[in-house]
Amino acid sequence: MPRWGMAVDLDRCTGCEACVTACHAENNIPTVGPEEAARGRAMHWIRVERYWEGEFPDVRLTFRPVFCQQCDNAPCEPVCPTYASYHTDEGLNAQVYNRCIGTRYCANACSYNVRFFNFHNPEWDRPLDLQLNPDVSVREVGVMEKCTFCIQRINAARIDARAETEEGRIEDGTLQPACAQSCTANALVFGDLDDADSRVSRLSRSPRGSKLLEELGAEPSVTYLQKGDWDESGGG
Amino acid sequence: MGGLAASVVLIGVLAGVRLISAQDRLVEPQSGSVFSPAHATFRDALAHFLGWRREPVQPIPFPHRTHFEEAFLECTYCHDGAARGPVARIPSVVVCMDCHFDVATDREPIQLLTSFYESGQEPPWERVYGWLPEAHVRFNHAPHVRREIECTVCHGDVTQMIVAEPAVDHTMSFCVGCHEQSQASIDCVTCHY
Repeated sequence: MPRWGMAVDLDRCTGCEACVTACHAENNIPTVGPEEAARGRAMHWIRVERYWEGEFPDVRLTFRPVFCQQCDNAPCEPVCPTYASYHTDEGLNAQVYNRCIGTRYCANACSYNVRFFNFHNPEWDRPLDLQLNPDVSVREVGVMEKCTFCIQRINAARIDARAETEEGRIEDGTLQPACAQSCTANALVFGDLDDADSRVSRLSRSPRGSKLLEELGAEPSVTYLQKGDWDESGGG
Repeated sequence: MGGLAASVVLIGVLAGVRLISAQDRLVEPQSGSVFSPAHATFRDALAHFLGWRREPVQPIPFPHRTHFEEAFLECTYCHDGAARGPVARIPSVVVCMDCHFDVATDREPIQLLTSFYESGQEPPWERVYGWLPEAHVRFNHAPHVRREIECTVCHGDVTQMIVAEPAVDHTMSFCVGCHEQSQASIDCVTCHY
């Protein structure tokens, strides 16, 4: 059984936000408008954080795409009174919309600020509703949602793999979430962490790698790679 | 207690009368009005709770039995998506006209069908099965067909029906029971995402 994970090479990320756009399109994520966004209710399952280092004009700009870290020891899971937020056998923090009653405990518990609450029923004016992805639910008001590592693509890939072989192994590189697929710089790499030879697994072992807010002990499945001052060559 | 029960039944009957009128869609996305997170109106919530569904109304009384017994058509001849992907599909009028250019052209329903074809319109067929959007269920026919699960398991014996009717209740326990028996995944996100 695979254990899904992601590696993000921050030295490659150009901050173009193609991943954000692709994620919105793939996962039927609503836009909330300027007023709601100003109240902190904007919904982006993936966001690109900007960091300025130094003083103008000697500044350096770095980017960090942040999305659900699919923690192994996820703070969002034990707080859910209805088990809407739970851990799958493949290491995902799944969100079952049917079970969610909108307590928002999970979003408060999340250290990464990657869970989003539907304060309104989402609307797409015609003809924009025609571009909704039929493979993904449209979440209604009162429901929490978050990055799923494109579970619809994982399920589809598994169905395809089982049609070809009895074992149904999803080969490395055949499956990509929308963000990784759209990344022009190949900064996002998705795959099976339990497969020692997979690209994501090799990148995750890189000495350049670190986890986001590692000291909190949530054990994220996402590794960020960044050149450290201690290794000018860039390491792995 | 009796009064309460009677009033609940009365509300139910009133809501039911509204529910089965032909203009109503099974699911109306109603922006603005919200009764609960999962239901736009009280009527939706009550119908959902009591398991009421409106009977599908078809533009032409399509006889499944005739097509199976006299024309010897397999289900997947018309519902050709079932073997390949998520949706079995209601066939286009073009598929009907493959045969009905020549077959039974003197019958009134076929003339109606031909008029749909000639005006470039699809007959407004109504789906017999399907979940509410609030159920957040994603279903894929292909892996089930590949496992050689008969269509009748989930759809009843449509080959003996005149107009297709919902013969099997697609509840979660119906799905999970079969998944457990055949050791298929019963992880929530297998179907709910």
